[in-house]
Amino acid sequence: MSASEVFIQQVITGLSNGMIIALIALGYTMVYGIVELINFAHGDLFMLGTFLSLTIVGLIGASAGHATLPALVLMFLIVPVFCGTLNWSVDRLAYRPLRNAPKLAPLVAAIGVSFIFMNLGQFWGGLPMQVFGGGLAAAAPKSFPPLIPNTNVLHSLGLSTDVQFTLRDLMVWGVTAPLLFSFTLFVQYTRLGKAMRATAQNPVAAQLLGIDVNRVIGATFMLGGALGGCAAVIYPLFNPTIHFQLGYRSGMDAFTAAVLGGIGNLPGAMLGGILIGLVRSMSDQYIETRWTNAVVFSILILILIFRPNGLLGARTREKV
Amino acid sequence: MTAARRAVNHFRQVEWILLIIALLIPLLDQVLYATGLGAWTIGNDVCQRVLIFTLLALGLNVIVGYAGLLHLGVAAFMAIGVYAYAILSCDIYPFRIGFWGALVAAPLICALAGLILGSPTLRLRGDYLAIVTLGFGEIVQDVLKNLDNITKGTQGINPLPPPSFFGHALNQSVYQPWYYLFLGFVVLAVIAVKNLENSRLGRQWVAIREDELAATCMGINPVRVKLKAFAITAAVCGLAGVLYASKLETTAEPTSYDFNVSITVLCILIVGGTGSLRGVLMGSAMVMGFDILLKKITEALQAAGLTASGNVILTPSNWKYLLFGLALVLMMRFRPEGIFPSSRIREELHAGEGDGIEAT
Amino acid sequence: MNVLDIRSVTKRFGGLVAVNKLDLSVAPGQIVSVIGPNGAGKTTVFNVITGVYEPDGGELRFLDGDLRRPFNRDTVLGIVGVGVVTGIALMITLHLESLWDATIVQNYVYQQSFPWGKAAGDFFAFLGAHGTSSTLSFLAGALLGSAAAFLGWARQRRSPDTIAARGICRTFQNLRLFPMMTVLENVLTGMDVHLHSRIFGMLVRSPGFRREEGIARDDGMKLLEFVGLASRANQLAGSLPYGDQRRLEIARALATKPKLLLLDEPAAGMNPAETVDLMKLIDRIRQTGVTVLLIEHDMKVVMGISDRITVLNYGTRIAEGTPSEVRANPQVIEAYLGKEDVG
Repeated sequence: MSASEVFIQQVITGLSNGMIIALIALGYTMVYGIVELINFAHGDLFMLGTFLSLTIVGLIGASAGHATLPALVLMFLIVPVFCGTLNWSVDRLAYRPLRNAPKLAPLVAAIGVSFIFMNLGQFWGGLPMQVFGGGLAAAAPKSFPPLIPNTNVLHSLGLSTDVQFTLRDLMVWGVTAPLLFSFTLFVQYTRLGKAMRATAQNPVAAQLLGIDVNRVIGATFMLGGALGGCAAVIYPLFNPTIHFQLGYRSGMDAFTAAVLGGIGNLPGAMLGGILIGLVRSMSDQYIETRWTNAVVFSILILILIFRPNGLLGARTREKV
Repeated sequence: MTAARRAVNHFRQVEWILLIIALLIPLLDQVLYATGLGAWTIGNDVCQRVLIFTLLALGLNVIVGYAGLLHLGVAAFMAIGVYAYAILSCDIYPFRIGFWGALVAAPLICALAGLILGSPTLRLRGDYLAIVTLGFGEIVQDVLKNLDNITKGTQGINPLPPPSFFGHALNQSVYQPWYYLFLGFVVLAVIAVKNLENSRLGRQWVAIREDELAATCMGINPVRVKLKAFAITAAVCGLAGVLYASKLETTAEPTSYDFNVSITVLCILIVGGTGSLRGVLMGSAMVMGFDILLKKITEALQAAGLTASGNVILTPSNWKYLLFGLALVLMMRFRPEGIFPSSRIREELHAGEGDGIEAT
Repeated sequence: MNVLDIRSVTKRFGGLVAVNKLDLSVAPGQIVSVIGPNGAGKTTVFNVITGVYEPDGGELRFLDGDLRRPFNRDTVLGIVGVGVVTGIALMITLHLESLWDATIVQNYVYQQSFPWGKAAGDFFAFLGAHGTSSTLSFLAGALLGSAAAFLGWARQRRSPDTIAARGICRTFQNLRLFPMMTVLENVLTGMDVHLHSRIFGMLVRSPGFRREEGIARDDGMKLLEFVGLASRANQLAGSLPYGDQRRLEIARALATKPKLLLLDEPAAGMNPAETVDLMKLIDRIRQTGVTVLLIEHDMKVVMGISDRITVLNYGTRIAEGTPSEVRANPQVIEAYLGKEDVG
């Protein structure tokens, strides 16, 4: 591959991964915008979604070229609902009682939930099911059947290039872009979307206007969870390996993306996600994969020093 | 006698009791060995786990309990302490300053690392700082793994010189000297931290915890105060690392100092009670005791053939993090100040609920 | 020389102009009151003076000096120093593995003594051999470090703690005590600006530390006697009656040994007897040499103790002068009572 082809390849990979990160980042930023809580458990929620995807595939017995369509349909129907409902329940049970508690209490609770999810993921991976390897080595990564083949679209179009833009990339872009777009429309134009924005800006005023703040917050968690659930279907189709610590890594990436774009800012999370995806792929290629996590973390630190409100966030400073 | 005075005296009683129990554990082990219940001895585990985690918790308490900031990456500073000790004292590198030299140098290096990490980040709000410390924990692990020609990767740096007193070095054949050495450091740490609590710095910490704006207007620089807490936490965790590694005589691999360690220490504080020494000590006893109990039960079940070692769900020690997570959630819901909190923190956490102090 | 000179200071919040080109001067030893209807911007002025808000325009001078931390040679040295250190750190970090190899591994023979001089030579030789990457990483680090240091310094330039250390301290309209500390401890936090014990001393309770604590506690008790709260020294601040809490806040502010004391509605919620005591207290404060700037609604207090009064309405100064001048000013009357309908 020529140097420019390598670069283009990394751009493609970066964008694909970045869009998945953007979906997860939206969950973080939505919840933060409305209750000022970093939902620590969101990444692990995503991880549980990937395990559910794998379970569905296993139950149907789908594999490459066999029962693919039913598997996809079922996954896209079930997993977002599961993740959304789980997120909503966690809010209802663990975070809502802490609405008026000092700031650190819900964060610690979120850490607790994250831990619970991680352990559940570990147990899930030990289920005596074919796809899980039959109960042994629960903590080991699981491979996901390659339901979407790795065929290079560019070759099918007749282009002779070493750059790979596969059906998987197409799937990611094809699903995520409309999802992000319709989500933006939802927040901008629907009643619930407006209620969410109002509550995020000023909960008291929103209440005075008759908005049921708790319901709106619950809906926010559900929506954020559902987006994470969509990511939880797309991710294993794109990267066919899942493991119970996936949430931790993805969570850090997504959180960095949310901060990069401006926490609480929805377009910012999308932009941040794409940027972090690109940073990761460029770092993997031009620096070294083993340092990529450090690079992402350094970006987080730099943003927090120089522009804590993120790229698209308002330039307000944290004063009284 | 005012209520405050009585509390202080009561405080000391619990600490003395814990100290006496701690001193007696090795003797209890002798009894167990003599009566054939050797498998149930806990002295070595207590030494390696409980005492070290108590030290870590004492350190974390400074930043979480006193300064009121969430810190999710103490394992990183423990690791820095371990590897600083290893690089500075192992024969494979030229520095060779010995155990006691490293005991002084490593915590200082950790404090410096704390200052460096803290300077740009302690101005941020609490939840951002928490994520930054979390990320830092991961980065330190990555760096230690990646720089494997320096840190020897998963092999670890070894052998590490053990502590020696007047020419007699501690060795691995008996754990008791280690036990009492570690216990001695725990006692020193308890005294030092208590002194800080009752000093000017302790007051500054309470002030910025209760009302940061008012404290700032009275001339207290909150960033500087938080930095001091952060550096002290880092130093104490580094000290714990040095002790831990010296007993193992190796650094072990970088993944030994990961998020699980940080969260376990946090659990100790949350369950036991932040901000109070009694809470830290009791919390450590409870959480680590529970940990050891799980381990013993698992071993017993496996020895009795009741569970296969490969079975994930029926292995009690695999439930550890679920139970820890549940503990955190439940504590926040029902008793956020912990089981043995300092009365001040309990009041602070329930201040909005009308059972506190009203102006007459 | 005036203690405080405010010239044309403006503060905006989005579209709202809270303080509009305000001029205010306070001469030493005076008691100056700032009055005006609610929402006139009085507390905002206090917040600007004490550094809680950054003004959008105008100048503030305290004892004829700028309130902000000066940008002088020391500042530049500090920023450059941080930059240099960061640059070196980044340079070493990015080459760490190879540097370690070249310096330590190559020179060290197991358990033999280490040739430090040669190692140092090898260290610099390596950096020299990799001139481009060394220089680039150093420059990048230096740039980042200096930028961050400068930013950090700029953000803290007019921070409330800097200003308190200079000698301006305040009380709060809505009382901001430390409720879970005792009365004496509240005062001691105020004294903090002037205490100097170091961490090591505190860790081991050195004689120096204990001596300083003792002196601080004595001074604190004297301050409590000055405001009349000595008998409550060991009570929790949150348990005090309201009037005592207000006096405690004043004592805490006085502990910082201010040259200028800002009192934000100190008489709010007090009964007439307490108000008279308060006026005597403020006068006693003035006699110790502290200048007082006062926001107050209670006209008895204002007219009774002020040397000069400034009147604000909608963020603009509408009158300034002695109590009798202000009392008779028609604009002031209009601001408080509204215009009389003609016809």
